This record gives sequence, structure tokens and C-alpha cells, in this order.
Amino acid sequence: MSPPGVLVPGPFGIDPLVWVVLRLLIAVLLVVGLIFNGALLQILMERKLQAWAQDRVGPYHVGPWGLLQTFADALKLIGKEDVRSRFTDAAFFLTAPAITFTPMVAAWVVIPFAPGVQGIDINIGLLYLSSLGAMGVLGIVIAGWASNNKYSLIGGLRSAGQLISYEVPQILSLVTVVLLAGSLQLTKIATAQPGLQLNLFILPAAFLTYFIAALAETNRTPFDLPEAESELVAGYLTEYSGMRWGTFLALTEYGNVTIVSSIMTTLWLGGWNGPLVDQAPILGVLWFTLKVYVIIVAFMWIRLTLPRFRIDQLMNFCWKVLIPLTLTNLFVTATLKVALPAPWDLIAIGILNWGLVAAFIVLIPRLQRRRLERLRERLRTERERTLAPTA
Amino acid sequence: MLSVPLGWFIAVSSALFFIGAAGVLVRRNAVVILMCVELMLNAANLALVAFSRRLSDATPRGSVFVIFTFVIAAAEVAVGLAIVLAAYRNQPTVEVDEIHELKG
Amino acid sequence: MDFIAPLIFVILAAIVVAGGLAVVLLPRITGSALSMGLSFLGMAGLFALLGAETIAFFQVLIYVGAITVLILYGVMLTRVAPAGADRRLFFQKQAGWALVPLTFVGVVATVFALSFQSNVVQQPGGDLEPLANAVFRDYAFPFEVASVLLLAAMIGAIALVKRGDD
Repeated sequence: MSPPGVLVPGPFGIDPLVWVVLRLLIAVLLVVGLIFNGALLQILMERKLQAWAQDRVGPYHVGPWGLLQTFADALKLIGKEDVRSRFTDAAFFLTAPAITFTPMVAAWVVIPFAPGVQGIDINIGLLYLSSLGAMGVLGIVIAGWASNNKYSLIGGLRSAGQLISYEVPQILSLVTVVLLAGSLQLTKIATAQPGLQLNLFILPAAFLTYFIAALAETNRTPFDLPEAESELVAGYLTEYSGMRWGTFLALTEYGNVTIVSSIMTTLWLGGWNGPLVDQAPILGVLWFTLKVYVIIVAFMWIRLTLPRFRIDQLMNFCWKVLIPLTLTNLFVTATLKVALPAPWDLIAIGILNWGLVAAFIVLIPRLQRRRLERLRERLRTERERTLAPTA
Repeated sequence: MLSVPLGWFIAVSSALFFIGAAGVLVRRNAVVILMCVELMLNAANLALVAFSRRLSDATPRGSVFVIFTFVIAAAEVAVGLAIVLAAYRNQPTVEVDEIHELKG
Repeated sequence: MDFIAPLIFVILAAIVVAGGLAVVLLPRITGSALSMGLSFLGMAGLFALLGAETIAFFQVLIYVGAITVLILYGVMLTRVAPAGADRRLFFQKQAGWALVPLTFVGVVATVFALSFQSNVVQQPGGDLEPLANAVFRDYAFPFEVASVLLLAAMIGAIALVKRGDD
């Protein structure tokens, strides 16, 4: 890390102090452009996708093909009346959306869009992203408490519990990939997957567990208990109206989804790699964005397919299924990487990972079915016992 | 070469430590006392890392010790809060002056 | 341009010390909890300034991400006076008696500390590799013992708050 305080001259020989201010301005414009427009695009994509799946058209009035619909929604949200209860804690209530928004914005700094197109390439990129994910929990707890509403409080604490629980399989899956790539630096992990040797084919179990944990971390269905409208009157979001709600739900959530998809793209899909990238490095941005949006469409697809988990089902799934799975994966990967020489270790790890994925897909429904049958048995015997005459 | 002398870091560390110690002695709420203990642990961490970076050995022993301090601080907060919650369930108060009966 | 590092240090140190003072002085517990979180963030910045960026991000991950949330849970689950402020803030007598010797010791310690005039040296390449080598080679056994300690703390905390009739 270069020591702070070193002023570098900008490109085209701009004066260092001018370059500092200019860099700040460009960063703010990038935030507004990438994050806000990304969120707007994703909201529209989600509505269009849901409409297509439900055999209807979706928004089409505003703008050609409904493209300006989210602009109209954003304007409506900004213009809404700010309804606030008098007993909410003003300082915390107003800053909670900001506390949740800031780590999401800060995470964009290390995302590698293309070789050379990256904010900062620190050598602990993944650790940075994990710690920012951990900081986002704080804003939700504060929002739940500051609303002075017992449903919000319970919703906030539940949501925080969900986020903290699912951080563990998330970080364990990341560590499995880091074991193979040998570095926490995002560019090194992306370039350690040349051509078609994607980590997706070698470590699919880690991809699966990270995908599920990321669904839970970003509060997407089927883990969107905290923000569902039929649960606890929308949980910690109840008292927020207008653009405060917009910041929480639209900007922060879709920003988080994009960050998590970028992490998945970099770690498992080869990042910016694609045809013709060596000749024209700027094409990496195109491939990266395409891969990220494939994963985002997968997120939305799951949303319109699966029903929601209850809080106890959610916690059970995390602690009893995902964490043993990720720990086994990590242990097996580490053992095989040390025991076998290359390239046999990659092949062995790949075989075992696909085995874990198959076990997950086959065994879990079977276990659940067996548990359901046992529950039904037990209920039936209890009912017979209470209905039968005592003898 | 960082142009901030080592003594400044140690001054911040000692200031934070004594603020935390004063907080432990003065505040009566058990959770606030736990928070002040965390401040003291943080101050110790800062001193460890500052001295470790000054010595600049091959193995950063201060930073290694700081990792263990993180672990112990997290464990201590968990158990401390569990104790506070168990006492709260007994008698609905968290003031350390009023939690003085062992039986009950 | 040599004043930027000391300037950043002064800002971060102000955040840390102000956060610490706020923990002790604020009448509202949630205010104390959040200023503790802010102090931890400032401390992470100080670690990064020293060149120990791995420790800095561990600090954010563990302290701000987990311990602050845990303390907030503890604060919210032990609300005695739901309307906010405590009745009395300090013991008037005991506070004076406690703080005078502490302030004396604190001033002496700070003067002693400020006599360290040597600058901190930064190695190139960050501190991830030396740290990882040290923890997993020289200090692997304490690392394993630390994980056993965490397990014991988890089991102990759960056992303490379990209700007897479960």
C-alpha cells in the first residue's frame, strides 16, 4: 500500500491538486450513474421479467416499452410527503438509510470491471468486501429500533439475525475459492481462471452455497422475510416513506445484488475474461457486465418462482445445512489441494464438489420428506390418543 | 516512512484506555460498562500494532497478538451479555448497584 | 505535501477519542452504543494508517460488524425505562474520587508516550503475508486454542440464557 499523502499527477499532466478534486467529482458522477441507473434498470427488468412469467405485459405506458417507468417512480418517491411519527428517534431514524447505503457504495471501489478499470486493486479485496457486508447489518438494527414500533424492532432484529447467520457460509465459500486462487486480490482471482478453466466447473458447491447465502444476505426471495409486506407489516421498513424507503429498498438492495453478482462473476465465472479481451482490454467491461446481469436475472427468476421461508426454517437451513456443507467443502478442498499434485488436485476437487452438489440436490428433499412423514405420523398418533376414550 | 511519530499513536491509545477505565468506574449500566471494557481492549490493540510496526520484524508479533485479542474480546462480549441478560431475567434491572443478590 | 498523513491522523484520532468520550458521557444507552461503533471505525482507520490494513478490516468485520450489533441487541433487550434518559447520570461524589487519580495517571502516561519521537516504518507489500505466515506457522497452536475458546464461549452463552423449562 503506498503511504498516504503522496500526490500523483493526473493523466495529460494535470496538476496534482486539481486531479484530486477532479477524481472526487468523477467518483461522485460514477456513483450517480452506475448505482442509481443500475438500480433503475434492475427494477424495470424485474417488473418486465415478472410480467413475462405471469403472461402479461408489465409497465408500458411511460416511455417506449416502459423504459422511463422507474424514472417516474423515482420522481414520485422523491415528491412524496415525509410522514414521520413524532416519537421516532430523529437522529437515528434519519441516518439509518445512510448507514445502510454507505457500505454498499464503498464496495464499488474494488470491483474489477476490466484490466486497469478498477478503483483500487488492494491486496485484500475480498476481506474488504466481507467487512463492508458486515457493516450493513448495523443500519438495519438502528432502523428497526428508531422506528419506535415493536413490529419494526422485531423485524429489524430478525433481519439482523438472518444477515449475521448467512455471513458465515458466505465467507466460508469465498475462502474456498481463495484457497484455490492463492490470493485475496480480486484481479488475481479473475486472472487465475484462464480460458474455460472457470472456478464454476471446479468449485460448483461453493458457487451454490455462496449463491444461496447471497440471496439471504441481500434479502431477496426466498429469504425476504424482513421486507415482505405480509410479514410484520413490512418489518423495519414500516415507518419509512417516500425516498427514505426508496433508498433502503430500491437503491441499497439492488446495489447489494449487483455487488454480490460482481463477486460471483469475478470468483466463479472468470471476471472480465471473454473472447477478444487480450486485444481490446476495454471489452472486458462488456463481458463483465453481461455475466453480472446473467446472475442478476437468475436472482429475479428465483424470486418469481419460490415462496418465502419462515424465520425458523431460514435459520435451520443456515446453521444445519449450509454451514456443514461449506465446512465440508472447505476441509475437503484444503486437504486435496495439499495432498495431490497439480492438475490432479483440481480434478479431484471438481469431482468431489460436483458430488456435494448432487448430494445437496438429491438428499435435502429426501430428508425433508422423511421429516414431514415423521411429523405427520406423530400428529396422527397424538390425535388418535386424544380422540380415543381413555382406557 | 510514515511522518507521524510513534508517540502520537501511544498517546491516543492511553487516552482511550483511561477514558474507558473512567467509564467502567463511573457508569452504572452493565451494558455501558461492557462497552467501556471494549474501548480499553481497542486501546491496547492500537498500542500493540503501533509498536509492532515500529519494530518492523519479519514476524509481526504485535499484529498476531491483536488477532487473538479480537477473538477474546468477541468471546467476552458474548458471555458478558449472556450474564447481563440472565440477571435481567431474574430482576428487571441492569444497574450494577441493584444486582447484588446471588440467590433468586 | 508532508502534512497529509499527520492531518489524517489528527482527524481519525479525534473521531476515536470523541467516540470514547461519548460512550462515557452520553445519557442515552443507544447513543453510547453507536458512538462506540464510530470509535471502532476511527480505530480501523488508524490501523490502516499504520499500514496494518488486514488488521483494519478485521477490526471492521469483528468490532463494527458483530460486537456493535451484539451490544445493540443487549441494549434493546434490556430496556428498563423505555422513554430514554436515566434518572441520574453520575454519582457526584464517587465520580470525582474516581477520576482524579485516573486523570493524573493519564497525563503522566501521555507525556511519557509523547517522548517516543521515532517514526513508524512501513514495509512494502502490505502486512497480509507476514501476518498469515506468522499465524499459521509459528502460532498455529494458539490459533487452534482460540477457536476452542470461541466454541466454549458460544456454548456458555447459550447455556446461560436458555430458559430452564425448554
